[in-house]
Amino acid sequence: MTGDTIIELRNASKRYGGVPAVENISFDLKRGEVHGLVGENGAGKSTLTKMIAGVVLLSEGELWVEGRKVDISNPHEASKLGVAMVFQETSLVPTMTVAQNLHLGNEKFFNRLRGVYIAAQQFLQSLNFDVDPTHLVSQLGAAKKQMVEIARAVLQDAKVIIFDEPTATLTPEEKLHFFNLVDVLKARGVAIIFISHALEEALQISDRITVLRDGRHVITDITPALDHASIVRAMVGRDLKDSIYAEKKLDARKPGKRLLCVQDLRVAPVVRNTSFSVFSGQVTGVFGLIGSGRTETFKVVAGLIKRDFFHGGEIMLNDRPVRYRTPAAAVLDKVAYITEDRKLEGFFETMSIGRNIYMGTLATAHDKGVLTSKSVENTLGRKWVDRLSVRAISANAKIIELSGGNQQKVVIAKSLAQNPDLIIFDEPTHGVDVGAIDEIHQLINDLADEGKAVVVISSYLPEIMSLSDRILVCRQGKVVDEFDCAEATNDLIMYASVH
Amino acid sequence: MSFFTEGLNRLVGRGDAAITVPPMDGPFRANNIIEDAEVVTELSDGVDIAFDGSKLWLAQGNELSCLLPDGKRQICARFDGPLTAIAAVPNVGIAVAVNARNISIYNGKVESLGHRTPAGKPFYSITSISPASDGSLYVADASRKNRPDAWTRDLLEHGKTGRVCQVFTDSTLDKQLISGLRYVAGVMVADNGLWISESWAHQIVSVDLAAVKTQPAQITARLPAYAGRMTATSDGGAWVCMFSARRRLVELVLRERRFRRLMMQEVDPRYWIAPMLSSGNSFQEPLQGGNVKSMGISKPWAPPRSYGLVVRLDPLGQPLYSLHSRTDGRHHGIVSAVEAYGALYMLSKGANLLLKVRLSEIEEHFL
Repeated sequence: MTGDTIIELRNASKRYGGVPAVENISFDLKRGEVHGLVGENGAGKSTLTKMIAGVVLLSEGELWVEGRKVDISNPHEASKLGVAMVFQETSLVPTMTVAQNLHLGNEKFFNRLRGVYIAAQQFLQSLNFDVDPTHLVSQLGAAKKQMVEIARAVLQDAKVIIFDEPTATLTPEEKLHFFNLVDVLKARGVAIIFISHALEEALQISDRITVLRDGRHVITDITPALDHASIVRAMVGRDLKDSIYAEKKLDARKPGKRLLCVQDLRVAPVVRNTSFSVFSGQVTGVFGLIGSGRTETFKVVAGLIKRDFFHGGEIMLNDRPVRYRTPAAAVLDKVAYITEDRKLEGFFETMSIGRNIYMGTLATAHDKGVLTSKSVENTLGRKWVDRLSVRAISANAKIIELSGGNQQKVVIAKSLAQNPDLIIFDEPTHGVDVGAIDEIHQLINDLADEGKAVVVISSYLPEIMSLSDRILVCRQGKVVDEFDCAEATNDLIMYASVH
Repeated sequence: MSFFTEGLNRLVGRGDAAITVPPMDGPFRANNIIEDAEVVTELSDGVDIAFDGSKLWLAQGNELSCLLPDGKRQICARFDGPLTAIAAVPNVGIAVAVNARNISIYNGKVESLGHRTPAGKPFYSITSISPASDGSLYVADASRKNRPDAWTRDLLEHGKTGRVCQVFTDSTLDKQLISGLRYVAGVMVADNGLWISESWAHQIVSVDLAAVKTQPAQITARLPAYAGRMTATSDGGAWVCMFSARRRLVELVLRERRFRRLMMQEVDPRYWIAPMLSSGNSFQEPLQGGNVKSMGISKPWAPPRSYGLVVRLDPLGQPLYSLHSRTDGRHHGIVSAVEAYGALYMLSKGANLLLKVRLSEIEEHFL
């Protein structure tokens, strides 16, 4: 171990019930370097970093921190050694405010709340994160939660920070701030492990990159020696197309019947008199910066939140006004919303794949029984595991044991089992690997080809451009522009979303 | 709807009281095709246009004329009253609605069909004629209370006295197909029945002509504009002229009975808060002093009252795309559109112009 190596894993393995998640991996991290960690979902990236952060224990191998062999048995011990981790799915306390979450772990016997808020405000501003410290975390969107999570790691003054998909929900502008923050941390001598499915980002900010595949180490090299194609080849063991996303779409599908028509919808203060339509047989992409009200708008459509009581506007589904008080009513009307925050809202993590999918069908009209059926559950599980190529030992595997991409497929299956006509995907490929992105995109296209009305809300412009037949741009709580897929460009869409 | 429900809706702004208008997106997405269209000729008092396969016919004031290849007009016939609709009837001639009450046929000479009274009621407001394959005519009698030039009054009075009748050129066995419609501004024989544009209901309905009982079926509903005349396309679809767009302000006025009554009593019809075929002609038009704050700057603004819109429907009646002259344009109030000589000819009553766009240009833009 050289003097500037801060973390070193030697021949580390982790097994769950005899099944290896990572096997015989050696990995080192130098002081002041950004180390990119890439691989498909299930490659072992999260497990590897969780071993370093004390979230999971090593089955075999050694962990060395600053030249000292250590046995980290929990995150608190890792924190004391200067290791902090920003998780892919946030680990904040939802019932506390942003400031309280940042302050968590540093409490004194008496805490002056005003001081905590002021300190949090100053700290968040210094990071250029636009988050109100007085807001409850449960009220924040996924992107803002991610910002708080990052801020918390930075605040701990850690020597090693592990970022697991930190940019997945950030807007391009926020990503820029994040990259600047990484530069600042690097200059301070902080070592950073950067896990990302966005290879361009990894190539942009990493000094070295390690590629994992199927729980094994494939390659570690300095970034200038690698390129996009060589990383993808190492990740999947074969050549893939150059881009994660397909080429920009040029031919739009013809619109079918207007399935959804939102007229002057209002959800103060986020959604302000927004109006738009969604047509059958098309993929409607919805792009907007965080806070533009895109998610809230579609949550109202799906009955997850309610519009304003007074003059809240109208939602017409199949030319019929609807006002859902619960998501179950929307499900009965064949509306499915696939959440952006799968861990919190998407599945029951201790239940099996089959049971999760079965839970999705319980709200549908054809399943009104009192008792659940194990055989139906198994059949459903097997059917959707096959159809969506969910990589799991069996349909009885628990969701928590799956990788992010496979969890996302189960969440999608849970909604598709309801046989919806309108499917709203909110950040469908957030935290999903290259191979799964392709599969999920193919599924979205298949659904539109079947005549379903598909809405894709995404922060990734390339994803919006490759999938959408028409693109709606949200700004300040309303749809402000619409583009045909052929005419849309990054510049036009970004201009519409910020001006 | 119960009194209680209606009261609650008014209080919280739901249902009919929501005062919302469907968005102009998807097939209704705005462009400037009508505004950029070539001006064929000026046509003051233009009413309707029709194409018989060889000539483009124009109804203008009391005159029926045809458009010559050099763009000039040749007057073919003069009538004793203003024309309100024309249609090319194969092997018969040009059917002309005179005074909104009578129908005549022009085929070199004018031949009146006489005073027709389907269901015992004479015509009062003929706005559209469509020929049937058997030589008879389907006639849109828009309103039993208001003449065609008083269409805004009919809207503000929530008129629902429109009807569609079948008139035979060779007999007087006319019949009323359907009545109680909310202003019939257009009628067209399509492959799957008779399409009727019900302007104040913002929809196009279809009637199965083979059925014993004529029950209208909705084919396109919740339109963002007032549907008018329709003409068939070669693929079985249609061009629909939307003579004015719906606005939230007008929707609000349509809910305020007392305000409407006073406005109609005391204000010159040109300055009513109502849709128009053209606007911006006078400072006396309503709400010119309005302003809207955008990006922190107060900008002068007046709610638009007129618009130019033609919509292309597919054979099933679903909108495919649309041609626009936007709020800041002048080619508003498109009341008639027909395909002729490889182009779409449109009559802008708001601008008193006959416009033309090549079909190939339209296809290039949308396909």
